[in-house]
Amino acid sequence: MSDAVISGARIEAEAGARAFLHRNPAVARLGLVVLALALWELAGHTVLDPNFLSPPSAIVAAMPRVLGDPGVRSALVATFVELVTAFVLAVALGLAIGLVVGLSGFARRATLPLVLLLYSIPQVTILPLFVLYFGICAGSKIAFGVSHGIFPIILNVVAGVQSVEQAHLTAARSMGASRLLTIRRVVIPHTMPSLFTGLRLAMSATLLGVLLAELYVSTGGVGYYTRIFADSFDPPATFTLVAVLALMAVVLNEAVRIAERRASFWRTHR
Amino acid sequence: MRLVPVPDVTTQDAISVADVSHVYVRSDEGVVQTLNAVSLNVRKGELLCLIGPSGCGKSTLLNIVGGLVSPTAGEVRVHGHPVRGPAPKEIAYVFQENTLFPWNTILDNIKVALEFQGVPAAERQDRAKQAIEAVGLSEFANSYPHQLSGGMKQRASLARALSLQTDILLMDEPFAALDEQTRTYLGEELSVLLAATNKTIVLVTHSLSEAVFLADRVVVMTARPAEIKATISIKAPHPREPNFTTSPEFSDLRNEIYALLRDEIEKTVGGFVGRAAARDRERRAVAGERRPKS
Amino acid sequence: MKPRRFDWHARAIRVGFVLALLLFWYYLGRSGAVSAIFLPQLPRVAEKFVQILQSASFYNNLAVTLFELIVAVAIASLFGLTIGYLVGRSRYAVLVFEPLLAGIFAVPIIVFLPVFMLFFGIDIESKIAFGATYAFFPIVLNTIGGISQVDPRFITVSRSMGANEQQLFRRVLLPAALPVIVTGLRIGATIGFLAILGSEMIAGLRGLGSRVANLAEGMNTAEMFAYIVFVIILAGMLNLTLSTMQSRFAGPRSAS
Repeated sequence: MSDAVISGARIEAEAGARAFLHRNPAVARLGLVVLALALWELAGHTVLDPNFLSPPSAIVAAMPRVLGDPGVRSALVATFVELVTAFVLAVALGLAIGLVVGLSGFARRATLPLVLLLYSIPQVTILPLFVLYFGICAGSKIAFGVSHGIFPIILNVVAGVQSVEQAHLTAARSMGASRLLTIRRVVIPHTMPSLFTGLRLAMSATLLGVLLAELYVSTGGVGYYTRIFADSFDPPATFTLVAVLALMAVVLNEAVRIAERRASFWRTHR
Repeated sequence: MRLVPVPDVTTQDAISVADVSHVYVRSDEGVVQTLNAVSLNVRKGELLCLIGPSGCGKSTLLNIVGGLVSPTAGEVRVHGHPVRGPAPKEIAYVFQENTLFPWNTILDNIKVALEFQGVPAAERQDRAKQAIEAVGLSEFANSYPHQLSGGMKQRASLARALSLQTDILLMDEPFAALDEQTRTYLGEELSVLLAATNKTIVLVTHSLSEAVFLADRVVVMTARPAEIKATISIKAPHPREPNFTTSPEFSDLRNEIYALLRDEIEKTVGGFVGRAAARDRERRAVAGERRPKS
Repeated sequence: MKPRRFDWHARAIRVGFVLALLLFWYYLGRSGAVSAIFLPQLPRVAEKFVQILQSASFYNNLAVTLFELIVAVAIASLFGLTIGYLVGRSRYAVLVFEPLLAGIFAVPIIVFLPVFMLFFGIDIESKIAFGATYAFFPIVLNTIGGISQVDPRFITVSRSMGANEQQLFRRVLLPAALPVIVTGLRIGATIGFLAILGSEMIAGLRGLGSRVANLAEGMNTAEMFAYIVFVIILAGMLNLTLSTMQSRFAGPRSAS
């Protein structure tokens, strides 16, 4: 009797599309996305005003035209370069500052409250100041991006340095290591996990900073083109621009995530 | 005159479990059978203990009786009615880990339970207070669970279950998370309670001492898929004195149950000791054969 | 004991830093080393600050921004809490929707601002819509997390005692998930505010952000500085309000 019960349960469990979806939520998710796109397409041909919104097909059709424009291309490339530069700078500066602040108890007590104070200011309000001081070229956008991305790094590195177990430091000292060597061999490796955790936040923040600045400056770069396309009621072009930027963001986020996973594969839970 | 045969003892039974099997599917294990054609009856007013190796399915059986899980085959009846889901008016639960709501005081915890059961608002305060007094926690009625010790929390859980005034109490290893002293003490209190009320209690436990001390009958279950291996009756009346545990009868019962359980435990734990011993014996046998008789 | 000492200490440092900064600013202005266009003199900014607090246009802009914020957060909360509850109650729905929502949120939504402008124009409707969209995500994600991670034993024991769905929600799910949900609301309000300011600055007619952008364009740096100082103070006040509300609703352990 129990065999029949078991086989009955097995059959029931494996059959049916419903069960398949149940075991593969990713497929269901994909299905939802496809459904949403389909509805958008439908709405685009029936309900939506072509002056304000376009269906996906129109966007795809407009892509060659928009991306073919050398001005648009250079603006997008410039934005990408700014993003990468700002991120790298934020990480480098953040790591340096984080180490200095974290390693010295005095420095930490003196400066950490200031870091947190600066972090709590809504940076969007001082965006005009950045543009005022750095001009309307790439410098202000990179600077604004760095100013956003640097904080998660500093905070994470400081936390990482502080979490180095005293036992490890004592062991190093008992083996005769100098302070510099201890930093190189003990502190920095221990800080890496925290740094990598902060990378993702830093990338999000940098993306926000650079893109905000780009959109704000309407006389050049991406901000110029968003304004032009909006003024000339060219929704497919706007969407194309937005889509490429979104893609950039996804790619950069993924890159950071892969780097994080590669760096942490050896780390079992401590 | 024809003698009408007396109907089966079902009218005396609070709970009857008939041929219950349970199977579930897990993505990593495939199809797992937890219970195999288990049948038992629990008489009104008795305390029945389910004991068995870890993970054998005793908790599943309890949950099936309580209507929280559906059996794959077989039927459970409570007071003669088939069980189709939770029966809050007839069955109350006490779980192992603390399930008191941390955001309510003890008193409020019990009042909420009464609200769930459908008791009118006017009665809740009094019944809650009575239940708290019955377990000796009146001082802590307005404390929060995190302010209480483990033993007190379980007493509060018991108070909550008692306040529901059900005929049946299902307890799933209620004292397992407590230290031995508190455990023993609460066990004695439970015995007193049993004598005072006429509740039917089904208690799942790992502890042999607890089973022998508390139960009117002990049901020993096999390893997964669980079946009933044996049922042992314990005649001592409730409330049982603490010195019952030192009586020879107690040790005998305990040993008897352990003997029944041992094989099942070995099956579950993997028989490390058994296998090592067997390997040892084998090795010695081989060595003995090669050694010239001296 | 240690956290309190650090707090007093930290506060002293912050206050000291701000004072030092103000002094430095004052003397830098006096010395004339920096052009007034880049760094207006402190007394001038202070003067402007007092002026704007007396001007009608300032209060109009303030009202517009606050109005946008309140409506945006209200909309985001309505959708976020409802959808979060419905999704959170189903384990499957959580598996399907949560990564989707988290994935969308990972892209900085600022990128979609031009689309909002396209559809809603550049007046307050687009700011409200944009702010609501930004605020929606932390609210819905935290609500999903909070509801779906309520200890299932609480739900089991409530069911065994006869609770129906409504009682379960009021007496178990809501109190259990409240700290996480309130955190989500707080984050939502905070980034909603930033989103609104940002979108006002990038392209707007009314509101504090628009005013700052206009002043920047007109090189009216003294007044712009005054507005910026005010907005920073406003942000601080908002943060304080949210923090107080959070500790009231979610317990003293949760606020910062």
